[in-house]
Amino acid sequence: MSLSSITAIVPILCVTAAGLAAMLAEAFRAPGERMPIGGLGLIGLAGAAVSTALLWGRHASGFGLVSADTFGLFFVMILVVVGVMTMLLSPPIVEREGLPAGEYYALTLFALAGMMLMAMATDLLVIFLALEVMSLAVYVLTGLRRDAEASVEGAFKYFILGGFSSAFFLYGLALVYGLTESTRLDRIGGALAGASAAHPALGLAALGLLLVGFGFKVSAVPFHMWTPDAYEGAPTVVAGFMSTGVKAAAFAALVRVVTVAFPSMHALWGPVLWGMAAATMILGTVVGVAQTNLRRMLAYSSIAHAGYLLVGLVSWSDIGRSAILFYLLAYGVTNLAAFGLIGLLATPERTNDDLASMAGLSNRHPALAAAFSVLLLSLGGIPPTAGFVGKWYIFSAAIRSGDYALAIIGVLTSVVSIFFYLRVIVMMYMAEPGDAPSSPAPTRAAAFTLAAALVVTFYLGVLPTGVIDLAARSVGSLF
Amino acid sequence: MLTTIVFLPLAGALLLLLVENRDGRRDAAVRWTALGVSLLVFAATLLLWSRFDATSADFQFVERRDWIPAFGIQYFVGVDGISLFLLVLTGFLTPLALLCSWESVNRKVKEFAAFMLALESAMLGVFVSLDLFLFYIFWDAMLVPMYFLIGIWGYDRRIYAAVKFILYTAAGSVLMLLAIIGLAWMHNSITGAGYTFDLLKLYDLHLPAKFEVWFFLAFTLAFAIKVPLFPFHTWLPDAHVEAPTAGSVILAGVLLKMGTYGLVRFAFPLFPAAAAYFAPWLAILAVVGIVYGALVAMVQPDMKKLVAYSSVSHLGFVVLGICAMNLQGLQGSIYQMLNHGVSTGGLFLLVGMLSDRRHTRQIAAFGGLKAVMPRLVAAFMLITLASIGLPGTNGFVGEFLILLGTFRADPRLAAFAATGVILSAVYMLWMFQRVNYGPVVHDENRALPDLTVRERWVIVPVVAMAIVMGVLPGVFLKPMQPSVERLLQRVNHVSAARAPEAAPPDHAAARRGTAPADAGVKH
Repeated sequence: MSLSSITAIVPILCVTAAGLAAMLAEAFRAPGERMPIGGLGLIGLAGAAVSTALLWGRHASGFGLVSADTFGLFFVMILVVVGVMTMLLSPPIVEREGLPAGEYYALTLFALAGMMLMAMATDLLVIFLALEVMSLAVYVLTGLRRDAEASVEGAFKYFILGGFSSAFFLYGLALVYGLTESTRLDRIGGALAGASAAHPALGLAALGLLLVGFGFKVSAVPFHMWTPDAYEGAPTVVAGFMSTGVKAAAFAALVRVVTVAFPSMHALWGPVLWGMAAATMILGTVVGVAQTNLRRMLAYSSIAHAGYLLVGLVSWSDIGRSAILFYLLAYGVTNLAAFGLIGLLATPERTNDDLASMAGLSNRHPALAAAFSVLLLSLGGIPPTAGFVGKWYIFSAAIRSGDYALAIIGVLTSVVSIFFYLRVIVMMYMAEPGDAPSSPAPTRAAAFTLAAALVVTFYLGVLPTGVIDLAARSVGSLF
Repeated sequence: MLTTIVFLPLAGALLLLLVENRDGRRDAAVRWTALGVSLLVFAATLLLWSRFDATSADFQFVERRDWIPAFGIQYFVGVDGISLFLLVLTGFLTPLALLCSWESVNRKVKEFAAFMLALESAMLGVFVSLDLFLFYIFWDAMLVPMYFLIGIWGYDRRIYAAVKFILYTAAGSVLMLLAIIGLAWMHNSITGAGYTFDLLKLYDLHLPAKFEVWFFLAFTLAFAIKVPLFPFHTWLPDAHVEAPTAGSVILAGVLLKMGTYGLVRFAFPLFPAAAAYFAPWLAILAVVGIVYGALVAMVQPDMKKLVAYSSVSHLGFVVLGICAMNLQGLQGSIYQMLNHGVSTGGLFLLVGMLSDRRHTRQIAAFGGLKAVMPRLVAAFMLITLASIGLPGTNGFVGEFLILLGTFRADPRLAAFAATGVILSAVYMLWMFQRVNYGPVVHDENRALPDLTVRERWVIVPVVAMAIVMGVLPGVFLKPMQPSVERLLQRVNHVSAARAPEAAPPDHAAARRGTAPADAGVKH
C-alpha cells in the first residue's frame, strides 16, 4: 500500500470522517441541545473540494481499484456541490420535521462518500460496494420521517426494488467475472474485446443485468417505478439529494463501465440504451403532465432528465460524454435548488407541495417565486439558463452521431415538459391567490444557497465555456 | 455600439428589479425610468441609422468575439439594410407601448416595466445576431417576458393564451434548434474547417440536397409559426386579444416580424435551392392567409380580434413578397414589415384607448364616436387608411411593391392577393364606420373624454410615421437596397446554379430573368 494510493481517496476520506464526526456529535449532544452538525459536513466537504483541486490532473490511482482521474474528479466536484447545497438547505427542514439531526447528516455524508467512491471506482466490485454504501444510507434517509405514512411507503418500495436491482447487478458482476476472470474494468474490456465473440449471449446477459442495476439507480424506464413514491415520501431536501447525487454517481459509474469495459459490445447494447432513452424521455414528460403534486412532478421530470442524459451516452462520442458531465452539473444545481425551495415553502401544518398551494406565491414571497420560475425555466431548457446549454450540448452530441430521431424525440418532449413547468409559474403569478398560508422566511443559509444556485444557473447559461472545456478535458481521461 | 443598444434595456430591467416598490409606492418613478431607458434606446437606434452607410451591402457595426470556442460559437452581431429599420422600429414602438400602459397597468408595475425592457433586449438581439446560436438564444429567451406580459396583465383568458403562445412557438423553434446544430456539424464534415455557427460562413456552405430540404423545412416551420403563416396562425388571435395593449403592440409590431425576418435572413439564403423549390407553395399559403385572414376579420364583433386577423392577412403579403424573390417583392416585404408595425401597432393602441374608456372592445358597444372625441377619431381614420394602403400612406408603398414583384414571378398569385387589398378596405372601413359614424346609440359613450395629453404623445408619432413613410419611401428603401440586392444575388444565383431541376421551370425562369434587370432599378 503506497501513499499515492491513499491520496487518491482523500476526498472520500474527508467526507467519511465528517460523517463519523456527525455521529459522534449526535452521541454527545444533550437532549434538546442544538448543535450545528451540518457545519461538520461542510468542513468535510470543503476538505473534499480542496483535495479534489489538488488531485486534479495528477491521475492518482488507488490500489488499482479507484482512480482519481479527471473524469472521476469532475463527478466528485458535482457531488461536493450537491453535498454543500444539501447541508445548507437542510437545517430548516430537519428542524420542522423533527428529524434526528445526527443521523440525518451522518447518513447524507456516508451516502456522499459512497457516491464519490462510485464515481472514481474502476473495479466492478468496488462499484458494487460503493453502490451499496450509497443506497443503504439513502434508503434510511427516505424513511426518516418515521411517523409519515408516505415516507415509510416510499422507503419500503425503494428498499425492496433497490434490493432486487442490486441483486441483478451482483449477478451481472458474477457473470462478467466468469467470462473474463477479472472485475477490473480495463481488464474486462481487454478480455471482452477478444472473448465476446466466443460467448456473445453470456456477455450480453451480464451487461443486461448490470444495466438493470444502473437503470434503477438513475430511474430510467422501465426501472423508474419507485421514483415518484420515494421522492414524495422522503424529506424534501433528501428527494432533491437523491434526484441529483444518486443520479450523478450512477451515471458516472455507468459511463465508465460501458466505455471502459464494454466498448466492444457497443453494437449490442447501443440499441437497448436507445430504446431506454426514448422511453424514459417520453414517459417522464407525458406522465409528468398529469401530476398535481410538485414533488411527483419533479420526480417525473427527473426521470425525463435521466432520458436526456442517456441520449448523451447513446451518442457514443466524447462530446456526448462531456455533455453528460455538463448536464449533470447544471441539472444538479437547479433540481436540488428546486426541491430545496419546495421544502422552504412548507409550514409545520401543511406541506404546501401541491400545485394549488402555489397560487399567489408571487404575492406572498416574490423572491422565492422569481427564483422558482428561473429554476423551472432552466429545467425546461429555456435560454439563457444552464438547462438550455445542457440540452443543447446533449442534442448536439446526438446530431453529431447522426441520431436525428432521438434528438427530435428529445426536443419535442422538452416542449411538453415546458408545459408542466409553466403550470407552476401560472399558479404562482397568474392564478387567484389561494388559501395557502405564508411560509416562514427562509434562513440565511437557505437564501444564500438559492441565490448561489441562481447565479450558477445563469452563469452556466451565459458563459458556459469554462465548464464545457473542463468537461471535455475530463472525459479524455477515461481512456 | 450594437452591444450597448441590445443590452441597455436589459440593464434597465435589472436596475428596476433592484428598486424596492412595496405597495406600488414608487410606481411613477418606475414608469419614468422605464420610459427614459426605452427613449434612450430609441435615440441610440436613430444614431445607428445616421451613421449607417447606405451604399454598402455589408454588415456594419460588426462586433465579433469568441464565446464557446470549442464549438465555434461566437458573439457576432452586425446590422445591414434589412435589419437596420427593424431595430429602429423596435426602438420606436417600445416607448409607445410603455406610455400607453401608463394608467391601464397599475399592479406589479415594476415587473411589467422590467419584462417590457427585457423583451426589448431580446428583440433587438434577434435582429442583430449573425451567429445562429446567439440568434436562437435571443429568439427563445424572448418568449419568457412575452409569456409573463400576456399571462399576468392580460384579459380574461390570458392564461390560456399565454400558455398556447409559448408552447406553440417553442414547439416550432426546437426543430430549428436541431437544424442549427445540424448545420454547424455539416460545416465541419463538408469543409473540414470545424464547427461554426457563423451565418456568413454558413451562407457559403453547399449542403447535400436531402439535408437542405429538411433544414429548410425546420427553419421555415419555426418562422411560419411566428409570422404566422396560414395554417399556423391559431395562436395569434388568442395571444393578441388577451394580451394587454402594450403586449399586443409589441406582438404585432415586432414579434411577428421576427418570423418574416427569419425567412429573409436565414431560411432563404441558407437553403436557396430548397427555398426555390418550396417558395411557390409558401406563396400559395401566403395568399390563402391573405384572403382567409381578411374574410375572418370581416365578421369579428370584437375590434381587437379584427385587428388580430387583419395581421394574418397583412403578414401574408409580406411572405408573398419574400417568395417572389425579386427586388420589388423583397423590398416591398421589408417595407411592409415596417408599415405593419406602425399601422397595426397604431390600431392596437387606439383599440386599447377605447377599451380603457369603456372596458369593452365590442364594435357594437360603440358608434358615433366622431362627435364625442373628434381627435381620437381623426387619428383612427389616418391609421385605418394607412392600414388599408391608401396612396400617400405607408401601406400603399409596401403593398404596391409586393404586388409588383409577385406579378413578375406569378401573375395568378398577384391577382388573388389583390383581392386581399379590396377585402382589407372592406373590413377596416366597415369597422371604422360602425365605431365612429352614425348616431351615438349608447349613453355611456356620450361623455367619453377625447385624447389626453399622454395619449397624444402616444398616437401622434404613429400617425406621423405612417404619413412620412408613405410620402418619403426612398429614405427607407435606399439604405435597404444594397443589402437586398446582395441577398437576391446569393439566393437566385445559387438556386439557379445548384438545383435547376428542383424549381418548377416557369418560376425559375422568371427569377433568373428578373434578377439582373432589377439591379438597375432605383427608387
